Amino acid sequence: MLRLSAAALALTLLAAPAAFAQPADASVTLTFETGARSGRVMVALYDSEASYTSGSPVATAAVDASGSVVAVFDNLPAGDYAMKSFHDVNGDGQMNTNPFGMPTEPYAFSNNAVGNMGPASWDRARFTVSGDTAQTISIR
Amino acid sequence: MVPSRRAFMTGAAALSAAVVTPDAVRAAEAMAATDWGLVTADVEADVAPHAMRLVHGRAPDGLTGALYRNGPAKFRRPGRSAEHWFDGDGLVRRFRIQDGQAGLAARFVDTPKRRQETRLDAMVMPGFGTMPDPRAEIGSPDDASAANTSVHLVGGELWALWEAGSPAVLDPGTLETRGFKTLRPDLKGMPFLAHPRIEPDGRIWNLGVGGDQAMVWRLAPDGSLEDASVIELPRASYIHDFTATDTQLVIVLQPWVRTRMVMPFSAGFEWKAEEGTQVLVVDKADLGKRRIFELPAFGFFHLGDAWRDGADIRFDVCAHRDMDFAARGAQQVVNGVPLDGEPARLAMVRLGADGRASLERTDIVGEFPRSDPRRAGLERRLTIHTAGETPGRPFASGIGVTDWSTGRTRGFDFGAGHVVDEMVFAPRPGGTAEDDGWLIGPSLNLTDRVTELHVLDAARVDEGPVATWRADVALPAAFHGTWTS
Repeated sequence: MLRLSAAALALTLLAAPAAFAQPADASVTLTFETGARSGRVMVALYDSEASYTSGSPVATAAVDASGSVVAVFDNLPAGDYAMKSFHDVNGDGQMNTNPFGMPTEPYAFSNNAVGNMGPASWDRARFTVSGDTAQTISIR
Repeated sequence: MVPSRRAFMTGAAALSAAVVTPDAVRAAEAMAATDWGLVTADVEADVAPHAMRLVHGRAPDGLTGALYRNGPAKFRRPGRSAEHWFDGDGLVRRFRIQDGQAGLAARFVDTPKRRQETRLDAMVMPGFGTMPDPRAEIGSPDDASAANTSVHLVGGELWALWEAGSPAVLDPGTLETRGFKTLRPDLKGMPFLAHPRIEPDGRIWNLGVGGDQAMVWRLAPDGSLEDASVIELPRASYIHDFTATDTQLVIVLQPWVRTRMVMPFSAGFEWKAEEGTQVLVVDKADLGKRRIFELPAFGFFHLGDAWRDGADIRFDVCAHRDMDFAARGAQQVVNGVPLDGEPARLAMVRLGADGRASLERTDIVGEFPRSDPRRAGLERRLTIHTAGETPGRPFASGIGVTDWSTGRTRGFDFGAGHVVDEMVFAPRPGGTAEDDGWLIGPSLNLTDRVTELHVLDAARVDEGPVATWRADVALPAAFHGTWTS
């Protein structure tokens, strides 16, 4: 009945060079609460609605899930950001889906935002970064 | 919510047209004064276990067990309401019969949908006939699950089933919700119909439908997954139910076909009578072995268990003229408006070894077909069904047992003041005959505004209940249930 777009949720984990036009002295620390301790949590950070929607992150991280799962992004210009993540539980590098295309591995967005039959919108996931900013994300 | 008096009178007139007696007139008058809205009323809280009061007869010796049932019981909130009967929150009811006494408990399935909607005090989830609200938070199909369609005991767990997502798992003792069932990690969130077909030894077959594809689920009696394979369907029909013989899956593809990916779900379907109804038969032992049969167009929600008759396949269907009830009627029903629709009538399908298929229609009004679970997939002659629906009355007032070997129906009508739910067959311990047992199910007594539980002798249905109990509450009409002894 409901269709989520796996393609829209899948993260483009490309390292993207950031052009800093203002002092880059802010940071984001994201602590992930996972339901499994295998594989890696794949994290992508975006600095605009355009980059978020098109899947062009300003920074990415792949964090081993066996210990505490923390992604730190330093040297960011203050501003609005949003994050997409998925837990690659089986370590195959993919966000796995069921035969009808629904995600079977956990995924999450900043603010622990949830979408409406798709990825959480920029408006739901956006948060303001100034100085040292931290969020705890439940990804189960 | 409350229909006009005129609409009531129209329905009552139709009911009493056949036999106008003083009783019928009084019943019609009672109906006119009755709050029909009770049938799809909101229940505001779980119902704590309580004893029901015996008001007629006595419990048969040897009848011990529990009838679990599921159906929508919360449709309206101040911020927004569901627009379709199929979109209310599932309330799981347990009617327990023991030592001659009966008791009732009921608990809402604690779904993500219900949690969000409680927090927002608005019904926001998309459904069968309800548009999504922009506030809805939906990360998976299960987030939108109303878990409201049927219930089955599987391996010590009580599964509340919907049809577009996973089973919700409840504790059969406390009715507390434990979460959703993932049968295998790579199949998380796959749909699982509310009408599994269960072989006499407990093996479970089910479908999960997505457009013109279906997942075929095969589960061991303890609920562990034996196999899950996707098969292609010849068309993207609406599939609420399928049937099975002991060796074949029988998938009926009505000409209500999904042609557009729009919301709500039901708005994406189109009635294409000219394309007729197809039946896909798949071998259980080899899902690649398949045959397709052609039948005249009919709509349906529910099928009876199928069986092999020589090299042919037979099964019964509650055949609707079309799917107007799904598309439109069930929206009106939730607003308390009696329909002007034709009720379903029983029909028998034969799929011939020669590739020809036939549909033998009857005049017997019937829905919610059930039969002896010990004969699932095997030859049988009886179908238990609700009865008494008319164009002015979209809910049943009676129960029938139709014998396909004679064409005869024995039935009992509880009267216009009752809305009768599906009844299940409970075999008499030690008995083997198909009618050696009881029919068990509730009715909603609209006149006295209370839920009743009835037990009828399956061989003497026309004599009416052998026992009737009353609860403290009036629960809205529900869909499907299961008896466990």
